[in-house]
Amino acid sequence: MAHVVLKDLVKTYGTFKAVNDVSLTVNDGEFVALVGPSGCGKTTTLNLVAGLTPITSGDIVIGDRVVNDLDPKDRDIAMVFQNYALYPQKSVYKNLAFPLQMRKLPKDEIDKKVKEAARVLDMTELLERKPRELSGGQQQRVALGRALVRDPAVFLMDEPLSNLDAKLRVQMRSEIKRFHQDLKATIIYVTHDQLEAVTMADRMAVMNGGYLQQYDSPSQVFAHPVNMFVASFIGSPAMSLIPLEASTANGNTVLTSAEGWSLQLSPRNVQKVARATTKKVVLGARHSTIKLHKSAIPGAIPAKAYTVEPTGDVTFVQAFLSGAIVNISVPPNIAVAPDEQIWLEFDQERIHLFDGETEMALKAN
Amino acid sequence: MSTIAETASRDRTRRRMRVDGWRWAGRIFLAFMLLYTAVPMIWMLITSIKSGFAATQFPPQWWPDEPTLASYQKLLDPQNSVGQDFLRFFWNSLFVSTVTTILSVIVAVPAAYAFSRFSFPGRNFLFFAVLLRNMFPAVIFLVPLFILMRVLGLMNTHGSLILTYLTFGLPLAIWLLKGFYDNIPVQLEQAARIDGATRFQAFILIVMPLSTPGIIATAIYSFIGAWNEYIYAYTFLSKNEQLTLPVGIQRFFSENTTDFPGLMAASFMMSVPVVVLFLVLQRYFVRALTEGAVKH
Amino acid sequence: MTIVTGKAEARRTLQPGRPGVLRSIWEHRADYAYVLPAIAVMLIVIAYPIYYTIELSFFKTPPGLQLRDKTFIGFDNYTTILTSEVFWTVTWNTLIWTLGSTLISFVLGFATALALHREFIGRGVLRATLIIPWVISAVAASYIWKWIYHSDFGIIGAVLVGLGLADRPPNFIDNVSTVLPSLIVVNIWREFPFAMIMMMAGLQTVPDQLLRAAKVDGANAWQRFWHVTFPHLRNVSVVTILLLAVANFNSFIIPWIMTGGGPSNASHIWITHIYELAFGRQRWGVASAYSVLLFLTLMTLGYFYVRALTGNERKEGSA
Repeated sequence: MAHVVLKDLVKTYGTFKAVNDVSLTVNDGEFVALVGPSGCGKTTTLNLVAGLTPITSGDIVIGDRVVNDLDPKDRDIAMVFQNYALYPQKSVYKNLAFPLQMRKLPKDEIDKKVKEAARVLDMTELLERKPRELSGGQQQRVALGRALVRDPAVFLMDEPLSNLDAKLRVQMRSEIKRFHQDLKATIIYVTHDQLEAVTMADRMAVMNGGYLQQYDSPSQVFAHPVNMFVASFIGSPAMSLIPLEASTANGNTVLTSAEGWSLQLSPRNVQKVARATTKKVVLGARHSTIKLHKSAIPGAIPAKAYTVEPTGDVTFVQAFLSGAIVNISVPPNIAVAPDEQIWLEFDQERIHLFDGETEMALKAN
Repeated sequence: MSTIAETASRDRTRRRMRVDGWRWAGRIFLAFMLLYTAVPMIWMLITSIKSGFAATQFPPQWWPDEPTLASYQKLLDPQNSVGQDFLRFFWNSLFVSTVTTILSVIVAVPAAYAFSRFSFPGRNFLFFAVLLRNMFPAVIFLVPLFILMRVLGLMNTHGSLILTYLTFGLPLAIWLLKGFYDNIPVQLEQAARIDGATRFQAFILIVMPLSTPGIIATAIYSFIGAWNEYIYAYTFLSKNEQLTLPVGIQRFFSENTTDFPGLMAASFMMSVPVVVLFLVLQRYFVRALTEGAVKH
Repeated sequence: MTIVTGKAEARRTLQPGRPGVLRSIWEHRADYAYVLPAIAVMLIVIAYPIYYTIELSFFKTPPGLQLRDKTFIGFDNYTTILTSEVFWTVTWNTLIWTLGSTLISFVLGFATALALHREFIGRGVLRATLIIPWVISAVAASYIWKWIYHSDFGIIGAVLVGLGLADRPPNFIDNVSTVLPSLIVVNIWREFPFAMIMMMAGLQTVPDQLLRAAKVDGANAWQRFWHVTFPHLRNVSVVTILLLAVANFNSFIIPWIMTGGGPSNASHIWITHIYELAFGRQRWGVASAYSVLLFLTLMTLGYFYVRALTGNERKEGSA
């Protein structure tokens, strides 16, 4: 196993910058997820690491080698693809043996390794089948087997679960996580599904528009998103972002809405607001941190319930506030009807404040 | 109540009649097309087993009174001069077509692959230049090629034909194959390269086997095109021992204008190889031909 | 940990100096190796002849291709062509031949494809049989039909006489007014299968859902065809018609073998006429000028051809 370093990585296609100055380090044995919406540059970044796409500038280090100009075959990596990319004309056995044959291993050793991999992944009885005779989950497992049979320095995975149905995806998610823990493998995992990233990765790199937005552990990214993009992308339902305006009267700073109401702030949050470049401030709150009241209490803001979605163990309520959609979760025993008048209370300790101009998170000091 | 049921059933009958009308029109039309297609071929076969005398009767004998294979025997007999010529033409056609086919595949495969996979500058321009070639008739190139072949010393050689047929077949061959490569996921090659193959190995070991149907189709197409070509062979070759079948037959029968059974037998035998080839492999052929034009 | 970065540095410093296109070409230099053989062959056999044809069209050439003795005469060859009466006859014939063959082949091919679209016993055999004329050599086809049209022993004449529709077998190809239609029938015989194959493949791509939706909306068979199937096949139709038109415009073998352009030029089309001028009468300059005119006509057709094809690519790209 090995660590991976990306330094000032750039990839341009003509004038289009697909990857912009991405720098990050993946430690030996670490599971890192590259996550972002489609077109954010995550798959391109992975292809750069794999050597499938030539880099425009920057450096890629795998182990202690700069691999910028090396062919994929010389980078000591394995890759799992979204569409599995199993060789359709070869049996499962031959698919698994192919990387070993390419490395000119002796036949008996190939046989031993293939059978071992098949045993680990529990598909010994599938070895003689062709890929098209396998279910989606089985194909996925063969693809995984083809990656691990060779014991590479780094595993690259490009949305390996997104072609599976929901139930199988959850199951394979835990299998891949288990696989990582058992092998202490270095894994770079690309996904557009933030839930996969949060549940599986040691650290996650959130990308958007070719730029690396934030690179930290899932809990840190969740608790301290650096900007509005990360805040809205990570977490489900998405964090509610309400555009407001800061105003100071009698030395007291409040956030006021165009709808007429205003929100008192704690001293720490006043400090944050003071750092905003303009008066525009965006209030961010996750659904679980907003309290819903059915009668007016001091400090709570009036709103109207728009939709109500019971899911069984929790009920989600959506309301409009200052033109933004606000998600609130309430216990199922609280009945809310659409169009009912409600009051929302924000937790000063757990709200996020963003600069309305730069979209960056505001910090106290 | 009863009236509603009646109208409903009448409606149904009318609808069935209308559907049947279309279906019957289709059947009658197909029968007509089958006649149009098959009658000439059947008449060719019937004539080829007549004697010269039986063929020139009026009204014609719908089925020969004395069917005979004499024409075929004459054409296939290496002992007499007609047979010698015919067999030599046949062999020449086979040689030229086979070499053309092999070269076409060797040249078209990498080109089609590049057009499908790489995005090098000028790619679109080159691709359309290749396709545009399809637009121009043999005759435009005939005079200059005639001169070119004289300069290259290829006059009266099979090399002149092979070189010409190669360019003739290439545009379509490249187009057909590109359609196949477009349908092979690029991830397969990427996987192979990560598994330790070079770009070339990935192509040979993974992509080539998957594009076998396309290659077969391209090969048949080149073969049939070369086998049937007439105008260049007619212009470039003048020595009797080098002629290919289409020209050879024409030469031969412009001297023996009344031997219609012989002419029909020769036409039949000239058609056999390509028709058999086509019937055996038509699945690939039809698929490849339509892939490029229809897929989009 | 030592990181060797020398190579990367070197590459990075190289880049800014190079203009974009050249750099891009340089980066993709290996890709060109794949297309090089194809391009090389094409250059020899295509680019050179085109150049040479254009050059020759401005010269008076002696017979026998002693081309050192050619003399420059400007546009004389072109004036000769455009003022000759034969030119207009031949052009008219070419027009009839190309349009007639193309449109009828397309309509018959399309209709056959529609009729074959429904599953029935023997469909595969029938389809294969219908394609055979397209596979066999045009030379063989010409002789087969020459025999069928034969003025004394032809089968069509015999049938017409047998049915009492004619007193004696008509002479189809030795008659100025019937020769061209007769040849077109032969050409269609060989070409409608091509249209059939293309349209059959096209029909398979018509989404079944759309047809069912139209049925639910109350459209009858004809309306479904006209509003769903046909618009969906627009692109395939355009490509097929263009390919047929180009092939027909360029055809040579059938008229050449069956009539040699006769009687009295009634079945001469551009290609056969050019061939006769060049290799029959050895008027290389005039033939070249003719070729250039042909070339220009085809360029116009080619413009539409490429547009139809790129139209497809564009659609594919946005989908």
